[in-house]
Amino acid sequence: MARPLFSQGWLRRNMTTVGPIVAAIAIIVGFQAVNPFFLSHDGMITLVYAMSYFLIAACGLTFVVMMGSFDFSVVSLLKLAALLCVLYMDKLGFLVIPLALIISTGLGFINGLFVARFNVPSFMATLGVSVVVEGAALYLSKGFLHIIYNETFRSLATTFIAGLPSIFYWAIGIWLISTFIAIYTPFGRRTYAVGGNLIGAGLSGINVERHRIYVFMLSGFLAGLAGVLYMAQLGGGSMLIGADMPIPLFASVVAGGTALTGGVGGPHRTLLGVIIITWIQAGMLMLAIGRDTQMIVFGLIALGMSVATIDRKRIKIIK
Amino acid sequence: MSMATPAEAPLLEVRGVSKTFDGVVRALDEVTITVHQNEIVGVVGENGAGKSTLMKILVGVYAPDKGELYYRGRRVPFPRDPKEAAGRGISIVYQEKGVIPHLQVYQFLLLGHEDKYVKFSSLQIDTMKRVAGEILEELRVDCDIESFMYELPLSTQKMVEIAKAILSIRLEREDTDTTPIIILDEPTAPLAIEERQGLFNDILAMKRNSSFIFVSHIIPEVREFADRVYVLRDGKQVAYHDLTREKVTEEDLFRAIVGRGSSEYLYKPGLEKAVGEEIALTASNLTKNSYYYDISFHLHRGECIGLFGPAGSGKSEIIRTIAGLVGFDKGSLTVKGQTVKADELPHLRLERGIGYFSGETGKELFLNWPIAKNISIVNIGRILLTGRVPVISFSAERKMAERIVKKLRIAAPSVNTDCTSLSGGSKQKVSVGKWLERSPDILLLEDPTIGIDVGAREDIYEVLLEMKKSGASMILVSDDPKEYSILCDTIIFIKGGRMQRVLSPAEFREVTAA
Repeated sequence: MARPLFSQGWLRRNMTTVGPIVAAIAIIVGFQAVNPFFLSHDGMITLVYAMSYFLIAACGLTFVVMMGSFDFSVVSLLKLAALLCVLYMDKLGFLVIPLALIISTGLGFINGLFVARFNVPSFMATLGVSVVVEGAALYLSKGFLHIIYNETFRSLATTFIAGLPSIFYWAIGIWLISTFIAIYTPFGRRTYAVGGNLIGAGLSGINVERHRIYVFMLSGFLAGLAGVLYMAQLGGGSMLIGADMPIPLFASVVAGGTALTGGVGGPHRTLLGVIIITWIQAGMLMLAIGRDTQMIVFGLIALGMSVATIDRKRIKIIK
Repeated sequence: MSMATPAEAPLLEVRGVSKTFDGVVRALDEVTITVHQNEIVGVVGENGAGKSTLMKILVGVYAPDKGELYYRGRRVPFPRDPKEAAGRGISIVYQEKGVIPHLQVYQFLLLGHEDKYVKFSSLQIDTMKRVAGEILEELRVDCDIESFMYELPLSTQKMVEIAKAILSIRLEREDTDTTPIIILDEPTAPLAIEERQGLFNDILAMKRNSSFIFVSHIIPEVREFADRVYVLRDGKQVAYHDLTREKVTEEDLFRAIVGRGSSEYLYKPGLEKAVGEEIALTASNLTKNSYYYDISFHLHRGECIGLFGPAGSGKSEIIRTIAGLVGFDKGSLTVKGQTVKADELPHLRLERGIGYFSGETGKELFLNWPIAKNISIVNIGRILLTGRVPVISFSAERKMAERIVKKLRIAAPSVNTDCTSLSGGSKQKVSVGKWLERSPDILLLEDPTIGIDVGAREDIYEVLLEMKKSGASMILVSDDPKEYSILCDTIIFIKGGRMQRVLSPAEFREVTAA
């Protein structure tokens, strides 16, 4: 008698790990079958460019979601940091990079302050900050397309090392550090604790208020860093930077297995989610599938993944 | 006092009802209770004694495995849902979560019955207000039908809930002369001490046309207000008293509820004298309005103080204040010579050396975490690779957890087992174990052994006594008097939120063994 490769129980327990891996393989095989360009060298570079800045921002968001909160402002902070680079590179030179990072981290601090100190639900606090940031970005850029001419700045993302652009190594480096922080440091442990049991975390001696602020600052910092590198990759941009990002970004964190209910998952899982989401996006672009279809597909993926990962046993009422 | 007509068939009788969960847990075993016209029937027992299961069977939330239901002497099937139960004249007012704050009183009263007041597909607001006003007037509930629920005092909200329960029975049966049977599930739990008496006076007045099943674990209330009382323990009916005929003391009820002979735990007198001179914590005139007043004591190094009193006496709020979960209004709290601010966050308490251990599942435990992480969360400083770099050593974490698991005899396949899958006793041992490893100067114990078996209790007491011997101070709040005898050096009686007297363990044993 043939024995099944995996027992049903094993499969059920490890579904959140097996699912994304199977999905990633299915996507690669599927797109490759339809369009052989997908896995060619040029195709790979397209895929890498599509996922790298995305992965950096997603790592930051993952910490927030692990904590049971949400950060809508990631994309706006990314946009602001990118635009600051292109707008002020001529005046400030490379000082613009730390400036962009400090501003995005500071805005993360404001997110955290509203959530942790004033008890505003995180979706509302970060949505509010995000709209303010969008307004500021529009004011600064006047809605025009701006081009960056500084080749040194651009080489931050576009230098090729071993056949792949440097932004890829930035992304993998950030991902490794994030994973390490989540798993091996007290900071990571506290993040899971706050997401898993808020009262228990306080009783375990964790300064919950301060920690939540720190996590929003981390998310803001990584959003800013993603923005700076994305601008180096693009070489110019307008308010439209990141316009397609929000739903795929949220979906990628959840698709990896970091449930919106908090306390589980982590950046190590987000890598797979980012691969799935950005490669579906890139694959659809290569197949010339329209933006209308893409929007529908990502909306459905985000909803489906949220249903699949939420821990219903632990949280009975969700508003 | 006499009941209406005791010879007549009772209004409601549940006979020999049994219920088993998951094929193993016997929640109810052959329980029989009767309810007569115009009386208050008390049903008391510890958490997990089966009170709630019985009530949920009566209102059709659970189906019993076995048993019969009689209504005015006629056998009727058990209700299948709350609507059917209302049709049989039974409705329940739950402990919490019943009120919808942003509805007006009349909207709340008729919630779920709107379809009866629709004409030309719009609500007949005037009719609804009239119906609501009538029931409130009949029951003498004093409130404006147009105020919002959240504007009412908590005790009035409770009364409106009771009115809603009676109204739903009437609307379901479409008559007004049935005697409604209202189940009150721990009705005073959310109320401040001052409000409780008022609620009971109102309920007593409502006895004219209703019967009540009063579910509670607050003994003085039951003794004062119930006509008859059933005591449940481990799903069985263990005692029955007709309070209108016999004289029953609080201690009688207490013993029936807890049900353990005093010989069951070995009392070890050798461990009693470890109290030092040094003062670890001082409370002076600590007051939280409506909960407790003027609580003052010194807690010495190595001493265990028990705050003893009935549920609702304020003892839980006092210990939660010291844990930092609840603020205080007046007085002062000093820990090792330093004054504590009233609204300080709980994490600072641990920095001051105060740990909090609650038997309530999932309160301080991270249920989806393995044992090892739950033990290390308060000891994270001790499992780092080096002092300077904040990196966790997983092997140090595992070793720490294995030591605790072995010492406390925690039944688990490995230290990586998630806490969700552990038994109640093992969960509690994990909580105790993390504090054993941390060894705080002061450990607060709230119901430390609630709902766990004798073997696990003994193990936990052993660890606590060991910690005490090595200098830890403790404060205990529990429902089990034996626990005070075993752990405490000083027992403070709390009643109505105030300190009554201070007893030594010997005096305490005399009082409770009476």
